[in-house]
Amino acid sequence: MTDEQELIAGLARGDRAAFRELVETHKKKVYFLARDMVGNPVDAEDVSQEVFLKVFRSFDTFNREAKLGSWLYRITYNACIDHLRKRAATPEPMEDATLEAGFRDHPQLSGSPASPDPALAAERAQLRERIERALESVSPQEKAVFLLRHHEDLALGDIAEALGLSVGSVKSYLFRAVRKLRKELLPAVAGAANGGLS
Amino acid sequence: MNECAKCQGLMAEALYDDLSPKDRAAFEAHLTRCGACAAEYAAMTETRKMLDVRERRNPGPEFWEGYWDRLEKRLDAEPAPRPARGRAYRPFALFPAWAFRAAAAAALLVIGIFIGRTLLRPPAPRVARAASPAVSPVPGVEQASAPVLRARDYFERSKLILLGIVNYDPGASDVYGLDLPRQKQLSRALVNEAGSLQKDLKAPAQKRLRELVADLETILVQIANLESANDLDAVELVKRGVQEKGIFLKINLTEMGPSPKARTDKSPM
Repeated sequence: MTDEQELIAGLARGDRAAFRELVETHKKKVYFLARDMVGNPVDAEDVSQEVFLKVFRSFDTFNREAKLGSWLYRITYNACIDHLRKRAATPEPMEDATLEAGFRDHPQLSGSPASPDPALAAERAQLRERIERALESVSPQEKAVFLLRHHEDLALGDIAEALGLSVGSVKSYLFRAVRKLRKELLPAVAGAANGGLS
Repeated sequence: MNECAKCQGLMAEALYDDLSPKDRAAFEAHLTRCGACAAEYAAMTETRKMLDVRERRNPGPEFWEGYWDRLEKRLDAEPAPRPARGRAYRPFALFPAWAFRAAAAAALLVIGIFIGRTLLRPPAPRVARAASPAVSPVPGVEQASAPVLRARDYFERSKLILLGIVNYDPGASDVYGLDLPRQKQLSRALVNEAGSLQKDLKAPAQKRLRELVADLETILVQIANLESANDLDAVELVKRGVQEKGIFLKINLTEMGPSPKARTDKSPM
């Protein structure tokens, strides 16, 4: 029996130790996806915890032939989409949006490591901010596909399984996501091509 | 599919080095021949590299250390989980999910056509037949051409919907620019008319018009059942259907034919 099979057997019994192991193993992946999808840290933690609670509550719906990681990503993605729908119905309070933007813009608050070259650090911080804004221009599906491929290094087939899409759709979403990002980042891309950013 | 379209289809995989050696060779060979695709790929590659600058927004070690405790508090407030039933209780899991989705799509299509043909048939034919004598001083000619006129009107309205879908590029267009709910509503109305129109196009010379109405009906049902403009596979299916059946060419041929008022129902296409 592999470690994952043992973990699955424990989760099927409702074993809390197995559940904790699952949480400790996957909490960062789930949180980071939620964070990038919903945009702010408070909602991201709430969504990620909802995901784990759902897993614990309804583990009997897990198809044992599927990959546990893919299932978790699918639940996370669906929870994020639900959250975004609800949030569209109830706009974010102004203070939250302002605070969030402030955290993002401030290198220390955003957790970016200090750089010995302030000019380069400022340039990179500016580019990061532009990338974040550019990511807001892609659809949730495109964003999820891009995040899972670019940051989680998932194979296209695994992304398809996780998001319940065909591999063809995943390729299409990924292509369109990068193309849209390119459009949004066009001046920066031109700058980099001219040797601006290494 | 032309070479550039194939190349674009491989670009996402190429960007992340996911291509098989065979596809990689074909992809690179195309880039050497096509400057536009080579430029596109170079820009996409540059963008991809630039995106490496992005970092996940890590809330820090304190956040992670307290994560389980915060989750456990919520867990304690939850009711106990349901006991797992295991695979024996899950017979449907024997089939892959896509099989259920394909079956559901096929069932929806059949139900849509059934409803369109039988339950929701509009009273349009009666109106057309009743109106014809009043419009025409030559009853034989006008009565005979009324279904053809209706067919042309039907094609014109269908064409407007199809143009909206065919010209919709999810990558470049605003999703809301498509006004999908309106397109679906109009498609449903046209599907409802299709059955009666086909019946009225009963003359042997109207066989091609009947076939065109049937082709359009199939495509309009697909549009009426689109869940979202983001459902790329379904939108692509509609586009492919329009292309493969040569719908626009056929509609244009009906438009180019002589005026139905100046002739009888013979040889509309």
